[in-house]
Amino acid sequence: MAEIPFPLPDLGEGLIEATVLEWLVGEGDQVERNQPLVEVETTKSALELPSPQSGKVLKLHGAPGDVIKVGEPLIVFEVPDDTAGIVGTVPSEEAPKRRVRLSANLDDD
Amino acid sequence: MPETMTAPEPVMDTQPKAQELSLQGALNLALDEILAEDPKALVLGEDVGTLGGVFRVTSGLAAKHGAERVFDTPLAESGILGMSIGLAMAGFHPIPEVQFDGFAYPAVNQIVCQLGRMNYRSRGTLPMPVTLRVPSFGGIRAPEHHGESLEALFAHVPGLKVVSPSDPQQGYSLLKAAARMPDPVIFMEPKSRYWQKGLVTSTESPADVSGARIARPGKHLTLVAWGAMVSRCIQVAELAAEDGIDIEVLDLRWLKPIDAEALATSVGKTRRAVVVHEAPRTSGLGAEVAQIIIERCFGTLKAPVERVTGFDVPYPSGDLEDEYIPNIDRILFGIQRVLEYKRG
Repeated sequence: MAEIPFPLPDLGEGLIEATVLEWLVGEGDQVERNQPLVEVETTKSALELPSPQSGKVLKLHGAPGDVIKVGEPLIVFEVPDDTAGIVGTVPSEEAPKRRVRLSANLDDD
Repeated sequence: MPETMTAPEPVMDTQPKAQELSLQGALNLALDEILAEDPKALVLGEDVGTLGGVFRVTSGLAAKHGAERVFDTPLAESGILGMSIGLAMAGFHPIPEVQFDGFAYPAVNQIVCQLGRMNYRSRGTLPMPVTLRVPSFGGIRAPEHHGESLEALFAHVPGLKVVSPSDPQQGYSLLKAAARMPDPVIFMEPKSRYWQKGLVTSTESPADVSGARIARPGKHLTLVAWGAMVSRCIQVAELAAEDGIDIEVLDLRWLKPIDAEALATSVGKTRRAVVVHEAPRTSGLGAEVAQIIIERCFGTLKAPVERVTGFDVPYPSGDLEDEYIPNIDRILFGIQRVLEYKRG
């Protein structure tokens, strides 16, 4: 297993820190990509941060009310070694589905 | 020891070893063996060293073979290729990685103007034994520049070989074969198949992986594909069997040079052909494949060669790629058009 830290990203507009309002996931939770992780408040607004990847939440940094600076650790994920660092989504293997049927006269083959 | 028990048979090192591996693992094994067997081999690219590659293909190689032989480069693809060309001139056998297909564009000048021509320009005194690994094609819903189908671009460049494995065994065998070649090889890894597992037999002497391979034998129609489309075409062939249509799937493997004999043999037997690729249709490799088939099999073809391809648009990102990449129904439609063709 690999540990992938996710620091507080640059939230734009020159903001350098954010206050944790509420964690929307807990340590040990399995999260999906784009799932909301945490609600934070900046001097501009409150916003939800989506997860950059899927994985198991290993550690949360900061309790509600704590101030975290951009670039400081926010959350640590644990992911299987063969999926760590992936851009995009691991394709799921589904049973093939079809709508088109074939018909042919193969008598002269 | 009771008499009925027999001593375990000694393990023979020379025996081929079969193990279940993902395509990632099979490529990792091949690179590990190449580095062990060839002291001139080097692995370089963005994040291939400490991180082990974004797809884990180079995982553990730097720790095992040393940071001088497996090393990270700056985020500059032109530099990665320029460095590889210089290393090849100095006698090394570089295996550079461009992290994603869409990042190959900044390196095209080095690939086209130097890598492909150095052997020709130097009258054979500066061969370019460079194997450029490129995680390729779509299927992982990645953002722009992370899913492209560049085979036609590279196949058009004189001096380059182009190859794409379709499963773990092909990945292992083709990468080992490519690394032994004196020519530059563009090695297009189907990133949507990285996690697919399969039995991989590793051998000391390289397997014969020249030319195409029949991935599934059949008699009524030949589906020609490469990379990630091979497994989809095998799925289609299994579905077509439910309708009584017996389809042969030809895994082209080498996209430059193309195995014209294998195409002629297969289509000469089935008399019908559909070529499937993810890349845009216009000037895609499907046109080349179709023309080779026409040159060899014109008299026996029962219908024009059909192409099922991506569209003439930039490779779409995210969920839109489901509408772009040939799916099972689009391939079945293509097959049906060939099956019902009537000479007018």
